[in-house]
Amino acid sequence: MLSVKESSDANVSTQAPMLDLHEIQATVLRLRPAPYFGSHVLLRIDEAQAGRELLRRLTPHVDSAANWWRPASAWLSLAISYAGLEAIGVQQNSLQSFPEAFRVGMAARSRQLRDEGVNDPENWEPLFGKGEIHIGLNAFSDSKEKWQRIVEMARGQYQSLSGIGVVNVQDFGAQPDDLNSLGYKDGIDQPPIEGSGVDPLPGQGRPIKAGEFILGYPGEAGVPLPMPQPDILGRNGTYVGYRKYQSRVGAFNRFLRANGSTEEERELLAAKLVGRWRSGAPLTLAPDVDNPALGADPKRNNDFNYANDTHGRQVPFGAHIRRMNPRDTQLTRLTDVNIHRVIRRGTTYGKPYDPNAFSQEDDEVPRGAIFLFISAKAMATMEFLQQEWIDEGNFIGIGSERDPIIGRQEEGAVFTIPKEPVRRRVHGIETFNVLRGGEYFFMPSISALKWVASLSG
Amino acid sequence: MATLEQTRTRQDHIAEKIKKVQELYADAPEVGRTALKNGLEALKRELAAAPVRQSAGRIGARRGKVSELTAIVPLAPGGGKRIRGLLDVLEGNFKGADLVGTLHDMRFVLLDNDTKLLFATTYDGEWDAYIDDFVTKIPNSMDILFCNCEGWPGIHSPKVKDYIAKTQYTADAWYVASPNLTVAEAWRLEKVGKAVDELLDKIG
Repeated sequence: MLSVKESSDANVSTQAPMLDLHEIQATVLRLRPAPYFGSHVLLRIDEAQAGRELLRRLTPHVDSAANWWRPASAWLSLAISYAGLEAIGVQQNSLQSFPEAFRVGMAARSRQLRDEGVNDPENWEPLFGKGEIHIGLNAFSDSKEKWQRIVEMARGQYQSLSGIGVVNVQDFGAQPDDLNSLGYKDGIDQPPIEGSGVDPLPGQGRPIKAGEFILGYPGEAGVPLPMPQPDILGRNGTYVGYRKYQSRVGAFNRFLRANGSTEEERELLAAKLVGRWRSGAPLTLAPDVDNPALGADPKRNNDFNYANDTHGRQVPFGAHIRRMNPRDTQLTRLTDVNIHRVIRRGTTYGKPYDPNAFSQEDDEVPRGAIFLFISAKAMATMEFLQQEWIDEGNFIGIGSERDPIIGRQEEGAVFTIPKEPVRRRVHGIETFNVLRGGEYFFMPSISALKWVASLSG
Repeated sequence: MATLEQTRTRQDHIAEKIKKVQELYADAPEVGRTALKNGLEALKRELAAAPVRQSAGRIGARRGKVSELTAIVPLAPGGGKRIRGLLDVLEGNFKGADLVGTLHDMRFVLLDNDTKLLFATTYDGEWDAYIDDFVTKIPNSMDILFCNCEGWPGIHSPKVKDYIAKTQYTADAWYVASPNLTVAEAWRLEKVGKAVDELLDKIG
């Protein structure tokens, strides 16, 4: 970390953190800065020796989550895929202690993840799904200059090692007003984590047991999740699901234009799809007109539940945020909402959202988001979310409807907007975000990075 | 033409299957052989339908949105007596299962002098999607029932999914009339049907 500012308006708890924040990597807990700049660097280990040398060199630069609630100017994290753990020489019995979905990798779990059709690994960018992605570095910063400095530093370390290959470098951020590739403010609702040193923001709900997100602590069931062995390797680590989406901005704009005749109608439809106006203001608190001041206020923009919206007339049941965190919505299945949450670090890349893009060529402009989904059981949670909450609607009583933002739509897909006296059913919804690739990583603790770096053989 | 070729291959395929069934039945009792001869046309139509075999994930069969779980579990000493007693006391009331929202049915059959339990259920979705939810939401109901099974590790054990998979047998064949009708959808349609009737009553 290059510097730490002293003041912040975060909800710092009066109780000391229970977690080993000095061990946990910064990206796990640090919120994305505003504005934000950064890079994802994907590396291949051709020689185990070189991999361990790289870890020795980079670990001193990997930031911990200590004082994560204070704004920081730049930080670096390092995660390793299963193929990477193999390539760097982790012993067989350790390798076998990782969960199966992690061992086989994200592409091999495409059936469980519903990554089919346009999202099928066969259609991914060629760099993904081949077992060649071994190390994922990510750098976040609040300024262009510090971001470049930290990326330059990392490059200096890996470029001089002949046994390390660069698979891909993807810069992200630097978007006007930090809006995502469909023009929304995003990343607002994050799960509150018990013992992390920060109290929940209004509307965030009760803190969730840390073991759901970080290995080595009790989870919601009262016991810690199984941990990779030995202990030093697993404890304070977590898993990261890396997913690269390409936004089909032309298709999205065409859909809004076809289903809204005025600017107001189009913006309301855009808000209904997500459950928030593009400003981030939740429909529950601003049902009829946007309220950008509300959207910008972290103490107010998440402070709501669905107690007064049991029919979905403000936020449709199929809206993106109602799916991803149903809060107090009555679900059709016995569900513990708190065990299906995930920490998200959304990173927008490519050209900014363009409201005047309508053509099919506009759909192919490299532009979208890379998500880091972080959880102590990220693989199981992502499979659950994809199967139940994203590419389905049964859980919330809307049949086969899918998530309008990140779902993969089939021919004839619809989006239902509950309304008096009769609901409106919007036809012609398409896949607005196409999956271009992904991989699972393990994000070890600082001590675990040192342990791996010191392996022999 | 490709389509003609495909039709021909398909017909060959059906003929092959018919031949296989005839071979299987060559040494069947007289009544079976006669029935096969008389029912050949109907069987051909059945074979012409597209195959629907799917998996429910790790284990079990699936049709559309519906899956099956069939388990035969050896019972712990005294377990048979407890389960039989418990089912007696419940008098067939499983109202609590409504809460789960994915269970179409559950069948408990005690076998071999109450030393084994046959448990069969039809449920919506993927094999293990909601097991973690059972752990935090209804751990006691799970342990009260299944502690009677030999080797039950307890609902909180990370080994519980492996345990269930080990006792499970994938159905060799399974028929589902409405493969796309989930429990939630069936309940919704019941409500809609009732509402339509009420509306028609008012105007009719």
